Amino acid sequence: MEEMFEFRLHGRGGQGIVVAASIFAEAVFLDGYYARAFSLFGAERRGAPVTAFIRAGKNRLMPRSRIYNPDYIVVFDSSLNMDTSMAGLKEGGTLLINSGEEDSGDLVINTEVDANFKVYTVNATGIAWKHNLAVGSFPMVNTVMLGAMGAISGLASLDSLVISIKKRVTAKLDANISAAAEGYDSVKEVERLVT
Amino acid sequence: MAYELMSGSQAAAVAVQRVGVDLVAAYPITPQTAIVETLANFEGKGELGGEFVSVESEYAALACCYGAAAAGARVFTATASHGLAYMHEMIHWCSGARVPIVMVNVNRTIGAPWSLDPDQGDSLSQRDTGWMQIYCSGAQEVLDTVMQAFLLSEELLLPCMVVFDGFYISHTYEAVDVPDLEKTRKFIGPPPFTAQVQPEKPANIHALITGDMQADLVRNRHETMLRAPAVFKEINHRFAETFGRSYGVIDSVMPPGTKKVILAAGATAETVRWTLPELEQTGMVQLRMFRPFPREDLCNLFEAHDIEQVVVIDRNCSTGMGGILAQELQAAVYGMEKPPAVKDIILAGGIDLTPEMLVKALTETASLDKVEQKWGVDLR
Repeated sequence: MEEMFEFRLHGRGGQGIVVAASIFAEAVFLDGYYARAFSLFGAERRGAPVTAFIRAGKNRLMPRSRIYNPDYIVVFDSSLNMDTSMAGLKEGGTLLINSGEEDSGDLVINTEVDANFKVYTVNATGIAWKHNLAVGSFPMVNTVMLGAMGAISGLASLDSLVISIKKRVTAKLDANISAAAEGYDSVKEVERLVT
Repeated sequence: MAYELMSGSQAAAVAVQRVGVDLVAAYPITPQTAIVETLANFEGKGELGGEFVSVESEYAALACCYGAAAAGARVFTATASHGLAYMHEMIHWCSGARVPIVMVNVNRTIGAPWSLDPDQGDSLSQRDTGWMQIYCSGAQEVLDTVMQAFLLSEELLLPCMVVFDGFYISHTYEAVDVPDLEKTRKFIGPPPFTAQVQPEKPANIHALITGDMQADLVRNRHETMLRAPAVFKEINHRFAETFGRSYGVIDSVMPPGTKKVILAAGATAETVRWTLPELEQTGMVQLRMFRPFPREDLCNLFEAHDIEQVVVIDRNCSTGMGGILAQELQAAVYGMEKPPAVKDIILAGGIDLTPEMLVKALTETASLDKVEQKWGVDLR
């Protein structure tokens, strides 16, 4: 089979992960890959767990199934059940998590997954607050996470992400672009601490 | 080429806008809502060309389309699942009245209980209503097929349903080549049919008739629909000359030495196509046209390749009999000199089909006897 990269995004209703998946797919497409974004729907409501998927590759043909063994798992909200979020991560895969806790050396990932995987963190909640990106008390972390996803995967440049954000984001556009750039620049690999 | 990233639902709406219709009447229902939203946005920006009618129900949507089509208008509607079921009486009426209508149905399981996954039983259970049905496996195919469906429907004066899976296509964003507006309008041309209702010629239409008269009409409708594969191929021939793409009533991939074929309709066909390189001596058929059932095309293909076995992916189940595509196929190959054995994998409930499940299914269906079915949920 042709090389294909699979992402699974875990977040909560209201965090914009469905929109984030389509923005990322468009940026990947602008950078020369075919890409698809789709999501799992239930009864949509703010705060409920939401899953979105992205496939990217040089071949336009791709399977139309959900993603059970992703190359990348992206967690928008660290209070989600990590076993559910981490299920099926590929050996050698990558976890990107929205967390500010590694600064104090406290990032602990509770998971049953026994694959070797890399861990990257970005303080998306902190960056979102800094750029005044919130709906009420609910920080909108999706553009920060997009920047970080582009940086760690190398599949979407910041320029392409910005073009794509401009097409799909209307509110607080400048702040969202700055937030994506800060996510792109500040995402970092951390030691994996597992209990 | 003007590629844009859009969902299958948006692709359907863009096709309608490119074709140019006089009237859209539709009622939103998950997972079809984005079609209605996108068309309403076109109208809001003055780009729809025709009138968008907000109706109070799906029944009213199709009744409204019927009335407008009888008056000579080019019309479009879209629905899903319970919405399609609610239209049922009007679905029969429109084909009996011989008005051209294009309707998109986005597959979603019919309750109870409430469910959102893309079981194809909603549209397949409308198979005897006199509508043509074409199933699509991706957003580009949706856009192109909706455009072509207008020509097919207007040529045969029979309504046409374009069908695709909820979420797997309706909510999947992917690259779609969007045809130029002027080029599309030139290709499609104005509606060629005559209005049944003409104010200057008052008449009572579809009044009470005898069974003998009805029999003539039913035969005519049936024989007309049997012309659909030939007309569809001719439309695709011209479509390819203008847009560089074309589709068949069935689309097959037959690697050398193929003895076994997987048959699928809709989104799962693409998963089959992706998995094919992993399977030995196995080919695939994407069933695009379901009504009329492309009996001749299928039998010719199986005969030309000496196919011994067809494994059908049925994202539906007719309770008390099994998968609907498998039943139709059994009937179609009956009478062949060497009919292939038909095996059936049932993905009722619209459950997910992964490449891994498909590989497993092919091993496990090999030993099934003639009437056994393999349940998709047992393949996980």
